[in-house]
Amino acid sequence: MGSVTLNNIRKSYGAVEVLHGIDLQVDDGEFTVLVGPSGCGKSTLLRAIAGLETISDGQISLDNEVINHLPPKRRDIAMVFQNYALYPHMTVAKNMGFSLRLAKESKSEIDRKVRAAAGILDLVPLLQRYPKQLSGGQRQRVAMGRAIVRDPEVFLFDEPLSNLDAKLRVQMRSEIKELHQRLGTTTVYVTHDQIEAMTMADKIVVMRGGHVEQMGSPLQLYDRPVNVFVAGFIGSPAMNFIDATVQNGTVITPSGAILGPAPDSLPDGSAVTAGIRPEDIFLSDSGAETTVGLIEPTGAETQLTLRMDGASLVMTTRDRVTLSPGDAVHIRVTEGKLRLFDTQSEAAIW
Amino acid sequence: MNSSSDRWLAYFMILPVVAAVLAFVIGPTWDVATLSLTQVVMGQERGFGTLGNFRALAADPMFTLVLKNTAIWILGGTVLCVLTGLAVGAFLAIDSKMTTGLRALILLPWVMPDVVTAMAWKWMLHGQVGVIGSTMQSVGLTEQQISFLGDPDLVMWTLVVVLIWRKMPLVALILCAAIRSVPNEQIEASRMDGANAFERFRFVVIPNIAFSLTAVTVISMIWITAEFALPWIMTGGGPANASQIMSTYIYQQSFEFFSWGVASAMSVVNLVMLMVIVALYLYVNRRSWASGAAS
Ligand SMILES: Nc1ncnc2c1ncn2[C@@H]1O[C@H](COP(=O)(O)OP(=O)(O)OP(=O)(O)O)[C@@H](O)[C@H]1O
Ligand SMILES: [Mg+2]
Repeated sequence: MGSVTLNNIRKSYGAVEVLHGIDLQVDDGEFTVLVGPSGCGKSTLLRAIAGLETISDGQISLDNEVINHLPPKRRDIAMVFQNYALYPHMTVAKNMGFSLRLAKESKSEIDRKVRAAAGILDLVPLLQRYPKQLSGGQRQRVAMGRAIVRDPEVFLFDEPLSNLDAKLRVQMRSEIKELHQRLGTTTVYVTHDQIEAMTMADKIVVMRGGHVEQMGSPLQLYDRPVNVFVAGFIGSPAMNFIDATVQNGTVITPSGAILGPAPDSLPDGSAVTAGIRPEDIFLSDSGAETTVGLIEPTGAETQLTLRMDGASLVMTTRDRVTLSPGDAVHIRVTEGKLRLFDTQSEAAIW
Repeated sequence: MNSSSDRWLAYFMILPVVAAVLAFVIGPTWDVATLSLTQVVMGQERGFGTLGNFRALAADPMFTLVLKNTAIWILGGTVLCVLTGLAVGAFLAIDSKMTTGLRALILLPWVMPDVVTAMAWKWMLHGQVGVIGSTMQSVGLTEQQISFLGDPDLVMWTLVVVLIWRKMPLVALILCAAIRSVPNEQIEASRMDGANAFERFRFVVIPNIAFSLTAVTVISMIWITAEFALPWIMTGGGPANASQIMSTYIYQQSFEFFSWGVASAMSVVNLVMLMVIVALYLYVNRRSWASGAAS
């Protein structure tokens, strides 16, 4: 078992509070991803769970047992660091077996566990090498191996892939995911890459400025973001936001183009921020008029940047595009896909 | 572009250094080496190519005592210097207001001139008027005032203590800097791996500062071997040669007794010893995990 419960976690550095009361439940075996912009407190929160950072207030529990005051070694939690943090003077095998050696396990037992973990991670041929003699991806795997051999209740990852090149990152991403499916260990994973979050997570926690903005399954967050920040952060290319007003039950742009229906609860004349995902815009014979700006084919689909009322609008389409920049086109929004946010509070209305 | 004229320019540029090394290092060394193989009688050179000086040295009853004292001086001094330096350095590496101030203050013994240090300690350790001995007596630690520099059994170790007081600060600072440069993630990773403070120090910090540690060991060894003013001023090798070490003995033999031959033979022994130390250092540093030790 390895369920983690965070209760009103606060953390201050001197007078500056960087975590403002975080509540979070990570179920046993769940893969939870903490995501958010740089400096939002993801690492701080993760390190608090690890025990590397004290907290100013709140409760951290593992399997309903409060572990606030336990040192890291007594928490049964393993952590993989962003820059691997391997011991340069130890071979791969020694690196992986270090925790077991400290736990005074027998040589043969250490050897067996290290070999088992190395087998899972394809590290067997590298066991006698030193970290300096490994590639970045291999080092990352050793760092994971070091966590695996301990067979902990919880794995913590702090941006483990950010030092790898794009291709390797995609590969390691699926390796970590597979590893999780195989071992079923509760995992908390920090990243600022929303694609990593979307592809890996059972549950995503979006943070900003020391607060949790929203948590839920990847598709929940994608389909029903609670505010402009989450809507803009999740999804790539990002959601389009357009200033709009409600008139006669429809949402219209400043130039009068109709984007879609408005809910009855909104009175005429209310100002809203309309949010539209790029794939929910389609070209049509009628609808809002725009000018084609940029055309970026990526093969499978094409990304168009359109200009409307002086703002840019990004759309993607799987159709082959025969337009050229400067052409005038009409667009429409797929029915039911128009999101509305309060212009003042940025909270989702609909 | 002419590569051969470039080469000559390069030679020309290093000429002053080469000349200085020849004049001040190679020259005197050559002189001492040849002198050690020359028979000298009454300050007059009589015949080259004899091992007589070395034979005389081996037969000299003082020689074993000097060797033993020198071993205490160099080995004891180095080991204690590095160990206390490591302890103090580890303490100074802790982040706090106090250690920041101490890091600057600790260099004080280092910047004092040898002579001042020696005179001050000699006076403080004096058998009758020394403040250290009289304090120990007045608080009841000893019945009589100890004469630290007058007791043949104590004098060598007393000198070593003063030596450490003088040489340890720089060692501590160098090791402090090395300890502070150990990547924090490694420390944190080892905390996650379950290491306690001692295990972190033993298995993570020490291997990470191994290079600084060997370098500092060798450097202190060389400093200590070359240290002359401190023991000479404090004891002059006494009482009754009880604190005679190589450097003081060489000085005494050459400039008080004018036995140039024996003195130079001993200098050669000294030089060989230093070269062994340096060779050891180079050998240890050759094997490094940082540059692929597995191969
Ligand atoms: N030791 C410290 N002293 C003071 N402030 C700190 C300290 N460590 C972190 N902070 C502050 O806490 C906030 C959160 O930092 P944290 O490292 O958790 O961000 P992060 O979300 O992990 O960002 P990134 O994506 O860049 O890694 C930042 O504003 C940072 O400036
Ligand atoms: Mg971080």
